[in-house]
Amino acid sequence: MIPQLQTKTETNIKLPLAFILFGLISFVTAQSLLWMNTAALSNGTFRMPDLWMAAHFLLLGWAVMVVMGAMYQLVPVAFLTPIWNERFGFIQFFITAAGVAGLSIALSLKPDAAIFAGSLAVIGILMFLFQIAMTLLKQKKANIMSWFVGGALVFLLLTIMAGIFLTWNLAFGAIVDYDALFKSHLIFGLTGWFTLLIFGFSYKMVPMFSLSHGFAMKWAKGAFISYIAGLILMIAAVWSSASWLLTIGWGFLWIGFTGYVIDMREIVKKRIKKKLDQPFVFSLISIIFGWMIHTSALLMSIVGVTAVTAWSWMIYLYIMMWIIFSIMGYLYKIVPFLWWTHKYSGSVGKKNVPTLKEMIQEKWGTILFAAMTAGVVMLAVTAMLEMPGLVFTAQAFLTITSSLYVSSIVRVLTR
Amino acid sequence: MELTKQVEEALYQVIDPELGINIVDLGLVYKIDVNETNDVHVQMTLTTPGCPLHDSIVSGAETMIYGVDDVNDVHVELVWHPAWSPEKMSSRAKEMLM
Repeated sequence: MIPQLQTKTETNIKLPLAFILFGLISFVTAQSLLWMNTAALSNGTFRMPDLWMAAHFLLLGWAVMVVMGAMYQLVPVAFLTPIWNERFGFIQFFITAAGVAGLSIALSLKPDAAIFAGSLAVIGILMFLFQIAMTLLKQKKANIMSWFVGGALVFLLLTIMAGIFLTWNLAFGAIVDYDALFKSHLIFGLTGWFTLLIFGFSYKMVPMFSLSHGFAMKWAKGAFISYIAGLILMIAAVWSSASWLLTIGWGFLWIGFTGYVIDMREIVKKRIKKKLDQPFVFSLISIIFGWMIHTSALLMSIVGVTAVTAWSWMIYLYIMMWIIFSIMGYLYKIVPFLWWTHKYSGSVGKKNVPTLKEMIQEKWGTILFAAMTAGVVMLAVTAMLEMPGLVFTAQAFLTITSSLYVSSIVRVLTR
Repeated sequence: MELTKQVEEALYQVIDPELGINIVDLGLVYKIDVNETNDVHVQMTLTTPGCPLHDSIVSGAETMIYGVDDVNDVHVELVWHPAWSPEKMSSRAKEMLM
């Protein structure tokens, strides 16, 4: 007997789109805030209220919100199961958006009140976790992607728990080891949540966008186990202050990332679609950036680099060139998919409909991606060399290119 | 022209918007059956399970078949087995992806 597929897995477009539009606004806001604070960037004073605001608009407002929106679109199709409750999703959007915006602003204007807006953001994220958990539970058979996405969601939960303790500390004090908790918050969020999620969805989207066939994914399980082991060792290291443990942790993260890179390389090598779309190529290039950053971090840990500025910029490059660039590349594919489905899905066979490629400005996207890469590298280098004038110029350039990127995504919605 | 052939011709008009190639040349259409009352049953697949466009492509195929004269009822069945493979593509589709 030939198994038949269930039909109708599309989500109401307004749900993912609401998250993505909020994310795009936050992206420009974050870059503008960084531009207004280039003096702090130049002298490496990262832990200050205005930069906390920028960082939270960038990571929560842009990256987390866009990822949530993308998941509302991708989870139903990738896991072949509809979203558990769309109405619950809309309520979750409004609570999370209010919480994220409130938290980001409070961190700058009234840090001791951040706990209250932060609580709202936490409720929103917990609602999202509940929604996705309920959706994934309906999946008939778990696969390696389920493990990566499930692992990422656990780390998202840990990130917000660590975050709420940090804001609690700002309001009421009393946390014994603030530094270890802060580092745990970064490890849970950046390496745990974002990286595992990008790994998981890459195993689905890279073969899909390159029309790859006959690949083995033989490193996927090893990459998952090694990366999780690395994360656990990193957490143990920051709480025990054992630098050797940190190096071993970076080693495991590097092995996991390398395994993932080997799998991605095989998938791309076995592709049927020889000429890949440029924005998608940018997502693939960000994998190389990610591997280079992991390698650099491992080497810095081995040779015993302890300078806070060097590690701060390493974290910045990790966020921008691996996490943000991956998301930016995929969004250039996801938004046209979303809009095409909404606008043209019912017209197939009735009238001429455009292809997805015709909905984006591919060449313009390529210029923007190249310009942003140059801007990020220029910012990091000039800041480490303490050249304030060039730091200002680099961040101005990044703010403008980010705004142009956002407008090119919004333009898709007019096609 | 017999109805089965007309249905196949109609399916050539259903384009995968990601690849810009029709579903017949892509090798996505496995079987076209037309019974004595002109009910059409099509068995097809997609290049990958979890393709975000699957609802659109299936409904597009149904619309095109309903547009064929004399067709009564239409049922498009989406299956995963046998899985799609590049060998199922026509040489024209392969050339377009080069």
